[in-house]
Amino acid sequence: MAGRTIVVTSGKGGVGKTTTVANIGTALAKKKHSVVLIDGDIGLRNLDVVMGLENRIVYNLVDIIEGRCRKEQAMIRDRKLGNLCVIPSAQTRDKDSVQPEQMKGLCEELAKEFDYVFIDCPAGIEHGFKNAIAGAQLAIVVTTPEVSAIRDADRVIGLLEASMLRDVHLIVNRLNDRMVKKGDMMSTEDIVSLLAIPLLGIVPESEDVVVSTNRGVPLVHDRNSRAGTAFQGIAARLNGEDVPHSDGKEVGFRDFFRKLFSGQ
Amino acid sequence: MSKGEMIRAKRGTNSKIRTHKPMENQEFIPIQIKANREGFVLLPEESASFGEVFAYLKNRLENSRDFFRFTRMVLDLRFTLLSIDEIQSIDHLLKESCGAGLVEIKLKEGFSLFTERREKAAAPPAPSREVEAVPLIVRHTCRSGARIVSQSDCLVLGDVNPGAEVIAYGDVVVFGSLRGLAHAGAAGNRQARIWALSMEPNQLRIADMVAVPPRGRKPVPKRYEVAEVRGESIEVLTV
Repeated sequence: MAGRTIVVTSGKGGVGKTTTVANIGTALAKKKHSVVLIDGDIGLRNLDVVMGLENRIVYNLVDIIEGRCRKEQAMIRDRKLGNLCVIPSAQTRDKDSVQPEQMKGLCEELAKEFDYVFIDCPAGIEHGFKNAIAGAQLAIVVTTPEVSAIRDADRVIGLLEASMLRDVHLIVNRLNDRMVKKGDMMSTEDIVSLLAIPLLGIVPESEDVVVSTNRGVPLVHDRNSRAGTAFQGIAARLNGEDVPHSDGKEVGFRDFFRKLFSGQ
Repeated sequence: MSKGEMIRAKRGTNSKIRTHKPMENQEFIPIQIKANREGFVLLPEESASFGEVFAYLKNRLENSRDFFRFTRMVLDLRFTLLSIDEIQSIDHLLKESCGAGLVEIKLKEGFSLFTERREKAAAPPAPSREVEAVPLIVRHTCRSGARIVSQSDCLVLGDVNPGAEVIAYGDVVVFGSLRGLAHAGAAGNRQARIWALSMEPNQLRIADMVAVPPRGRKPVPKRYEVAEVRGESIEVLTV
């Protein structure tokens, strides 16, 4: 059976797309699935840094597309997990080096070999975005509880729907419980009611994320991290397991599903 | 049009444009113009940028102005995405260069937007510009970046999210939360009204007047019900 191709996108930059890809991918690989992560941000690569694989890059995504190497040559195997690979992007090229059709072809080939293909989408809605979503069957939209990030997420969801990508899920990143309780931050409920797409998970704000990014070790390897646990929950949900949302209230949720089913 | 001209024009612009296209692409046509019984179908190429499409179209129209004069054009966007602004600039180009009108925008198989009421096939374009009386019904949530323009009333069955704009010459009715921008009576009718089940807009406009909601006002949550057919019976859902 062919694997699933999932694009992680947000519109706005700096909301945690790369962190999300690294952690969900690692969590799924820990569950013995074969996973490949593609850095779609050509010209500004950073997935390899987050995964701690920077010094092992020989070939990259553009090399595969332009036929300078076989795709196996560009895949970098993770240090801990043998069933996890990363295809880095090219730092010295720009987004026009790849066309959506080529990206689609590559995703289809990879999906034959892997259970999960993740694409880390660049910020923005231009050429790089179109490349990244070309081969995907499912999209994960990451947002933080800020008005600007939510506005961009809304725009991206609209564009995804216009591109016939209807299977769109939401991750709310960097939620601060204390601030929500004080009324200083938008709650998950508010966000879900505005964006009106299924909630895949909530990731609490945490300093661990910065530490793990700098060390190049995904958070899901750390058992004591709340954010890491949240990413594990998300990975399990993607895998079809029924895991309750630990940090969100369940209340607004039912309303939302009704709203979804009422055909909006 | 002479082919040499086009290629020279391309070379003169940005060399980046050429890098991702194979060299044999001297024949590359960014937008296909196909004739059918009612007029012409414009089919932008998937790999072409909007700049290329626009430049090529402009060139073609200018060189064969008489050929395209007052024709009816259909824009086929089943394979490419264009933004509202891009569509409008194409529409404007058609009108300016040869008086042709964009009558239909194909979005996907069996789903089109019509810019005027469909008349009998091959009828000549009506010179008179009557205000459309049929209200525009939008059956989905308008997300950020969406712009809906209606020549009469506009009814949105869903929310209008922040960043979306709904503009109508008549009333705007939102069966959901109005969180974006609504402009009623856009042609100058101050009698027009804006209706919404929940009013929390960025901005309201009626005719030439603009209003901003007071800061810190929390809207009262309201509920509504929707009846729809599920299987063989009608069910009422509280949303």
